Amino acid sequence: MVTVRISRWRLGLTLGALLVAVGLAAPAVTTAAPTAAAQGGTVLRVALTKQVDSVNPFLSITQAGTELGRLMYEFLTTYDAKDQHPVPALAEKWETSQDKLTWTYTIRSGVRWSDGQPLTAKDVAFTFNLMLTNDVARTANGNFVANFDSVSAPDDRTVVIRTKTPQATMLALDVPIVPEHVWSKVTDIAGYTNDTTPVVGNGPFVLTEYRANESIRFKANKDYWRGAPHYDELDFVIYKNADAATQALIKGEVDLINRLGPGQYDSLKNAANVTLNPAKGRRFNELLFNPGAATSTGVPIGDGNPALRDVKVRQALAKAFNLKDIVSKVAGGYAEPGGGLIPPVFVSYHWQPDASQARSFDPAAANRELDAAGYPRGAGGIRQGPDGKPLTLRLLGHNGTAFDEQTAPYIKQWLSDVGVDVTVQLVSDSQVNEITSGGKYDLAFSGWGANPDPDYILSLHTCSQRPNADGKGGTTDSFLCDPQYDALYTQQLAEFDQAKRAELVKQAQQRFYDLAVGVVLDYDNSLEAYRKDRFADFQVQPDPGGVIMAQNGYWGYYSARPVAGAASSGGGNAGPVIGIAAGAVVVLAVLAFLFARRRRATSAERE
Amino acid sequence: MKAFWREFVRNRSGVAGLAVLALMVALALLAPVLTDRVGLDVTRAQFPRWQPPAADYWLGTDHTGRSVLLQTWWGARVSLTVGVAATLLSVGVGSVVGLAAAHFGGWLSGLLMRVTDFFLALPALVLAICLSTVLPRGIGTIVLAIGATAWPATARLVRAQTLAVEARPYIERAKVLGGGHLHIIGRHVLPGVFPLVLVNTTLTVASAIIAESTLSFLGLGDPGLVSWGSMLHEATLHGAVSQGAWWFLLPPGLGIVLVVLAFTLCGRALETVLNPRLRVS
Repeated sequence: MVTVRISRWRLGLTLGALLVAVGLAAPAVTTAAPTAAAQGGTVLRVALTKQVDSVNPFLSITQAGTELGRLMYEFLTTYDAKDQHPVPALAEKWETSQDKLTWTYTIRSGVRWSDGQPLTAKDVAFTFNLMLTNDVARTANGNFVANFDSVSAPDDRTVVIRTKTPQATMLALDVPIVPEHVWSKVTDIAGYTNDTTPVVGNGPFVLTEYRANESIRFKANKDYWRGAPHYDELDFVIYKNADAATQALIKGEVDLINRLGPGQYDSLKNAANVTLNPAKGRRFNELLFNPGAATSTGVPIGDGNPALRDVKVRQALAKAFNLKDIVSKVAGGYAEPGGGLIPPVFVSYHWQPDASQARSFDPAAANRELDAAGYPRGAGGIRQGPDGKPLTLRLLGHNGTAFDEQTAPYIKQWLSDVGVDVTVQLVSDSQVNEITSGGKYDLAFSGWGANPDPDYILSLHTCSQRPNADGKGGTTDSFLCDPQYDALYTQQLAEFDQAKRAELVKQAQQRFYDLAVGVVLDYDNSLEAYRKDRFADFQVQPDPGGVIMAQNGYWGYYSARPVAGAASSGGGNAGPVIGIAAGAVVVLAVLAFLFARRRRATSAERE
Repeated sequence: MKAFWREFVRNRSGVAGLAVLALMVALALLAPVLTDRVGLDVTRAQFPRWQPPAADYWLGTDHTGRSVLLQTWWGARVSLTVGVAATLLSVGVGSVVGLAAAHFGGWLSGLLMRVTDFFLALPALVLAICLSTVLPRGIGTIVLAIGATAWPATARLVRAQTLAVEARPYIERAKVLGGGHLHIIGRHVLPGVFPLVLVNTTLTVASAIIAESTLSFLGLGDPGLVSWGSMLHEATLHGAVSQGAWWFLLPPGLGIVLVVLAFTLCGRALETVLNPRLRVS
């Protein structure tokens, strides 16, 4: 018996020592991998942590999907990298008729598709006409052509668009232009995946390999009309979460990442060869109050708490939230406290309440106003409505979304402090959509990424965007239907004077703020990082303080330059490797123990 | 009972498991007395974020600046409650189905066993995820999801034991003497099956706690409650790995290991006591 026991320990110790040795040697092994990947031209490797829905530009609506579309296809106009005003792209110049109904674009000559065919005005007209005649083709960008009357190409360099009413967004048509000689053969847009590589395009990069959510590869378009990009290949490497992507950046397996959480971002501060970019983001997070959901014809739907139909209650509740705490604790300081619907990165349209209008964090005032609105505190400190029932609100959020999960307990506690009970419901993204579009919520987390043109974000709160009786046919965010807001929205869409339009946009945001159907909680920074030993000269948008990835354009990827002698990669971080090795040691020690026990058992039987 | 206890005490690992378990349960029950629940409230978190262990917070702080020790402590309550409640549910359902199937036989047995087989063939984790996605989020749903997926094994086990017990001559005598179903099951079958159910219960608690942690780790737990699984979920979601915040990941992980180990050791010890054939000479 005694001898067996000694041999068991010896076995465990030997294995353990062996593994420690392997563990310490491991960092040297892992550094070999990146150099192999860099062979055959310079490659910019980008970590992708969000799913791509489709590379069919008519169908793709996710941020990741539209970003790939921006690399593959050029637009009529694009947004300037510096201040995001519309600048020429395929259209080198344009003019408008007196009545603002006819727009004539002159198409740049000498632009070729990646298969060598010349690009003409016919391709542009084909793209828009496809969207006008095929409702599936309007899935992604239908809002831009909704007001179009006709699109024609009188010659190879002229496109004429007639609109039904004046439309201020005619220089911000976010529609990728596709080749007629490829897409005219497509009969079923909905079923066309557009991933037969190489995909014919005219953007700075050509899609050469696409396996859905496995690997995405682009080659630089050497014939790109602005000039070829400064490197040969652009790879998107798929990661399941930001932690894994962060480790890959530290080890040098990728060169560029975005969508970092504050935790991951802070951990990169001490990493070697990594440059951080705490860019001003174009997203905002908001909390919606159900103001009494109804269909576009005004028929009430859903089961929102009637208390929230009272604007005074909504305004009082909004005062219970400490937005500064959300910025400092949830966003780790990488955000700005919320105000209007348009994020501050869009300077000319952003609206922030001034001191006299602002609802500051003031639980005492919230308590007073709720008392005055007819909701006195009842048993257990919970307020009671006119019907004598305790005021309990459901808070709906996206399960697995860091912001919702982290902010929910704050909202619950803040509202509990003013005597409102909250039940948190974190469910899947599709369930959130289903519940909110049916109006079956009281409070709900929401958030949008804004474009340089404010039209889309503002349109989300108009009466006409409310759904029809089947719950379809509109993208309302808040179920707001307010004549004054709608009037401001319509005026800004038809206003061509930039300063006047900005003023109308701000007034609409103020109206939204006063009605308190939603509280913009914060504007998240877009946290990015890249390997400065591999690439440099990333053009941010806007400049300064903007993003590299998720731009309204392709500047970040297009402008990047490889650093001389970039093939050699950094030493990597031994920490996680040692951690994994230690884990392996434990596992193997357990196995060794079990193995030894087994041996003991058999030898006992033999005795 | 005395003999049972004497036999149990002879099993040293079983006693160790029981001691750990008793300590954990005592700490969990005393949490409201020994600690202040306010420390779990994110809006009143008083420490800096992502701090390694120090005098004020023995196990460091999380992404919101709350003490990890306090969360682990309170998390034990949820993990133990769900583990025990789900086990009672699954063992209860399993025992009733198993007893009924074995005792009554015939078409009822066939029907019950086919239903059991159906649930046995379903992948438990997938079914539990589906249930907790569809039903409203909460601790009751987790209990139901685990209970609904864990009962078939118990049912099979109880049925086998019941069949063995019912084959014995004294059951036949009881029947001849006019004993009804309730009398036979209650007075004669159950005492023979009960020890097995007891052992099975102890072992099922261990797997139920792991199941609870798994579901909470996947973000399907009650968002208002701290459990070990939800701590691990938050740690991964908010970048504890990148931060190198081992103090946020290890305590809940070790908590799960310790409780599961303790239950398993107790269960094995019970098994040895109740089944003389397993006893080492």
